Amino acid sequence: MMNEQNIRVKGIYWKAAGCLLFLYVLIGGMIVPLKSGVTQLSTTSASSGDTLAITVTGYNTHFAEAKNNRAWLKIDSAHHIQSYNVKAIDENDIVLSFAIPNAMPTNETPVAATLLIDNEIDGVIVQPNAIFITNTRTDTTASATWMASALGDFNKVQGIKFPYRNILNETIRNTFFHVALWFAMFALLFAGVYYAIQYLRTGDYTMDIKSASYTKVAILYGMMGLLTGAIWGKFTWGTYWPNDIKLNMAAVAMMMYVAYLILRGSTTDYDKRAKTSASYSIFAFLALIPLLFIIPRINDSLHPGNGGNPALGGEDLDHTLRLFFYPSIIAQILLGLWMGQLLIRYEAIKERLLSKNKINQTPIVGQSNPI
Amino acid sequence: MKDLAVEFRQKYAIAGIFLFVFVMVFLVFKAYGTINAREWSILIWVILLFTGLNAIIKSFMQESSGTYLYYYTLIEPIELLVSKIIYNFVLLTLLFLFIIGLMFVFVGFPVKDLSLFSIASLGGILGISAIFTFVSIISATDKGSGTMMSILALPLILPIFLLLLKTTTVSARLISDTSVYDDVMLIYGLDSMLIGLMIFLFPNLWRS
Repeated sequence: MMNEQNIRVKGIYWKAAGCLLFLYVLIGGMIVPLKSGVTQLSTTSASSGDTLAITVTGYNTHFAEAKNNRAWLKIDSAHHIQSYNVKAIDENDIVLSFAIPNAMPTNETPVAATLLIDNEIDGVIVQPNAIFITNTRTDTTASATWMASALGDFNKVQGIKFPYRNILNETIRNTFFHVALWFAMFALLFAGVYYAIQYLRTGDYTMDIKSASYTKVAILYGMMGLLTGAIWGKFTWGTYWPNDIKLNMAAVAMMMYVAYLILRGSTTDYDKRAKTSASYSIFAFLALIPLLFIIPRINDSLHPGNGGNPALGGEDLDHTLRLFFYPSIIAQILLGLWMGQLLIRYEAIKERLLSKNKINQTPIVGQSNPI
Repeated sequence: MKDLAVEFRQKYAIAGIFLFVFVMVFLVFKAYGTINAREWSILIWVILLFTGLNAIIKSFMQESSGTYLYYYTLIEPIELLVSKIIYNFVLLTLLFLFIIGLMFVFVGFPVKDLSLFSIASLGGILGISAIFTFVSIISATDKGSGTMMSILALPLILPIFLLLLKTTTVSARLISDTSVYDDVMLIYGLDSMLIGLMIFLFPNLWRS
């Protein structure tokens, strides 16, 4: 039966594509540097009329190497001042001197000012709400010392760099793994539910094996999703598991699927096991949708995408991230399908051996060759 | 629908469950001493959940396979399912009223917005009884144990349980929420989804 031509990996193209894509995401996602950002300011408050010298500590910056460092404080689109003296101490530290005018353009106090630093290597670095200026003398008519021209002549960032986010820092790379894992988990669960419905329609036992295998891989992905999420949470929220609705619902969802595994393990009667677990998996999948998408959205949550927090899109997922994020989803789905197929073949061989050894075993309903 | 009458004929089982509830509430009352409104709203649902679980485990497992065969020849599976859900719903509602009554006697009744409380609670109980029925069918075909049922049921219950906690605390005026009727809608939405799904799935399970 097994001659030379048959000994090769079936569907090698998509399996190889999955591996290569994942390798690309792994290497690229880890190697591509972050854009420059500001980590620390020596002072964050000032009064109008002050002369200010701020020491700015940057991240991934090249202040010393760059020839043309410039900096601005910006209040709104029509009001900004340029730093009159910029002195780089080293690559990551720079002293910026500002003379804040007496007259402020608004009546508010304090006024939040955005700090912009620009050079030809790092491009423009924007730090919103960097300095809060206490408004001592309100004179809205004399805003002459604030420059009114729009800022425009910034340098472009060189090469591909991931965006710098203050609370995320380097962990922004986790987008490719944590978020993509949940996407892939949903795809696999969907495959599992599809085969569960197929099983209930046809009674074909191979469909049950397929459904269970994909669901098992999806559970593995879900566990890994929780794990990568916990690591991410430790860095951005300071704790592995904040008491947050989205996280707790995800944990409940996983409990539901662990119960699925227990349900499958609790009986050896193939027919009953297949029927109950197929029904349960459809039930659980539909219960999963309110758990992960509806309830976290109607409550307050720290997690992006819930309780008013933005999720994918906007500033957080820029084109450089997309360059790795979408391939990562595809790669993980392909790898998951591969793992699922290996499980299917393993199960099928196991069942066949079992039914060969024990002749008085319950016959397997409607078995065809699953390999 | 005659099922309902058949079930209620087993009076001693029902009486046992009510005694169980009584003991539970009394235990909680003695353990806590005084119960504030927040604890009250949590406790009624926890007590209902566990006593209800206990009560419904019996409803499918008590009967022998001979009875099932008799039902199978006699009535449509959907009819049986619906009557089971109705029976469990009635049973849980009675249990719930009993718990509320006992809690009223022992610790009082903090609910201010009675209409919200009753509407949300009835929807929640419907959902809980639907899930319990579904899970008891699965574990009954499994010759299952009570543990199997709790393992399967409790994670499935959780969304409804959390929504119920929220609506109960709102109706006790512990927190104010203008969009609480969205939650009530969500409870009924979940109910209809679960029951619809069960009607779709039950004939497959029943045949075995």
